[in-house]
Amino acid sequence: MWRSAVLLACCVGLPRTSRADDAALLTDDTWRYRSAGDLVVDGGLVLGFPAALPTGLAKGVGAGVMTGRQLAWGARASWVTATESSLPWTVTHSDLRLRVAGALQTAAGRGTLGLRLGLGGTLVHESRVRNQGMRAGLTGSDLESSAFSMLPAADLDAVVALHVAGPWLLMMSGGPTVDVFESKLHAGWSAQLGVAWQP
Amino acid sequence: MTRTAIGIELVGAVGLLGLLGACGDLAGFGGAVPPLATVDVQVTGDLASVQIPGPNPPALRVALVWGAQWLTEPLCILPPDDPSVATLVAAGCRDAFGFVPERVATNAPLAADGSAQLALLDLPAPDVMVGDVTARVAYASVVVYDDRDGDGTLTFGRANRLGGRENGPPDDQPTATVDVVYAASFASMTEPDTRLAFREGAFNQAAAFYPRSGCGDPLPSFSIVSAGGFSAQEALAAQLQGKLPPEDPAACRESSTAAPVSLPFRAPAELHELACVERRTDSSIRYREPPADAPDLTSRTIACAKVPDFGSGKANGAIQLAISGRSDDSCAGLTHYVLRGCRNDALCELPAWDITATPPSWWPCPVPAVR
Repeated sequence: MWRSAVLLACCVGLPRTSRADDAALLTDDTWRYRSAGDLVVDGGLVLGFPAALPTGLAKGVGAGVMTGRQLAWGARASWVTATESSLPWTVTHSDLRLRVAGALQTAAGRGTLGLRLGLGGTLVHESRVRNQGMRAGLTGSDLESSAFSMLPAADLDAVVALHVAGPWLLMMSGGPTVDVFESKLHAGWSAQLGVAWQP
Repeated sequence: MTRTAIGIELVGAVGLLGLLGACGDLAGFGGAVPPLATVDVQVTGDLASVQIPGPNPPALRVALVWGAQWLTEPLCILPPDDPSVATLVAAGCRDAFGFVPERVATNAPLAADGSAQLALLDLPAPDVMVGDVTARVAYASVVVYDDRDGDGTLTFGRANRLGGRENGPPDDQPTATVDVVYAASFASMTEPDTRLAFREGAFNQAAAFYPRSGCGDPLPSFSIVSAGGFSAQEALAAQLQGKLPPEDPAACRESSTAAPVSLPFRAPAELHELACVERRTDSSIRYREPPADAPDLTSRTIACAKVPDFGSGKANGAIQLAISGRSDDSCAGLTHYVLRGCRNDALCELPAWDITATPPSWWPCPVPAVR
């Protein structure tokens, strides 16, 4: 019985103790945000379809910088990689996506909604390893090869940014992508989840 | 520099990258697949002198065949009890030291000049490799054959064995093959051979898997190895001493796969076992309960033989009826009938069947006393 009484006392007493602490981590100002600047720098984790592989899920990181209000422009870059296998090959593609971007955006409460179009190129580095080749004693180009290729590409992303605290935002974006590979359009998708900084 | 100017330069640089987008040489999963090994084959001799006439012109192909680890059954290797058993062994047992195929790795057509190139795109599977992961090896024979069934590969047959009483559903898998073998680089350990070896890790000289005792180790990964062979008497004598039969070092060779494999045309009768697989590879025997009605023994050789007990006395005079395949079968093999026994052991303590009191009327062997 006395244990229950102690527990009840702690539950009632501890919040009072916190409220009385002048050095509290969370205050009324904590969730107050400001969005005075035009510049937004963001970064986060990226998932997407590889630019030149017929299958797989590419994972990596991305970042961008945009400036402007309703009409914004800037540059973005992301690096993603995917490794997939067939019977004879294990293929790793690393995609470096470089884009110039323009966006139409509007504020909605604490958030910002936007539609962003990115144009540029995707630099693809391919690394191919012949499966079982090392056990078979293959060396050199019979065992592995690598190649680079720059593919023209474009992205269309829906962007949602939510002011969290101070200059910090939670930012999500995603949408279809397209690139030109072997003279054909190669469609895919990409998405990013990360944080943004708007001074 | 203003922020606008920086932005313009940035836009220009990134845009230029995009415009550079020329086609690269990315291959993805496509493109030619380099073989893991390539074996050059050269067949010598005159096909016409050994050819078996067929309905169509010969479609000669070359196959690379991985070998199975196989042990002959005791009846085929032990001294025969009497001449009838010796005749049965001659008719129904394959070469105890012969190469036993397990799987075809690759095929290629034989060119008119007798050459062919075998490209291996896969490593041998673990079931054709003998040893543990730190030291294992696989051997393959190069086989030249007439692809009479036209399926593009060497088709294997197996022994045509008789069924038993209440022996489960009938075995309806084909036992015959129409493909005719005309040459093999590795037919038997009792004659000179050249084989493709795949070695992974170390090499166990004491392993009795197609042994080449006295020869050098196969090279790591793929290699071509040769041996001069040994006689069956040498092999049995070495076995009694717990040793492997020695090879003549002068006939040994270990080289890379760049060395071509040369093999002559031979009479198909000497090589027909190269197209015969074995269901049981550990020398164990599947015993059958004799059916009530007499099986068709046309062109088969039969003998009443003692059930081998290797001197333990456990057999106590038990007799089995052993029957060879038909004389025109593709592959040799024995059928074993016992009046009392189990599927895997004719001397089991609790027999799965015991008809010693009521043997079938056609049973040609002595009937043991009822227990």
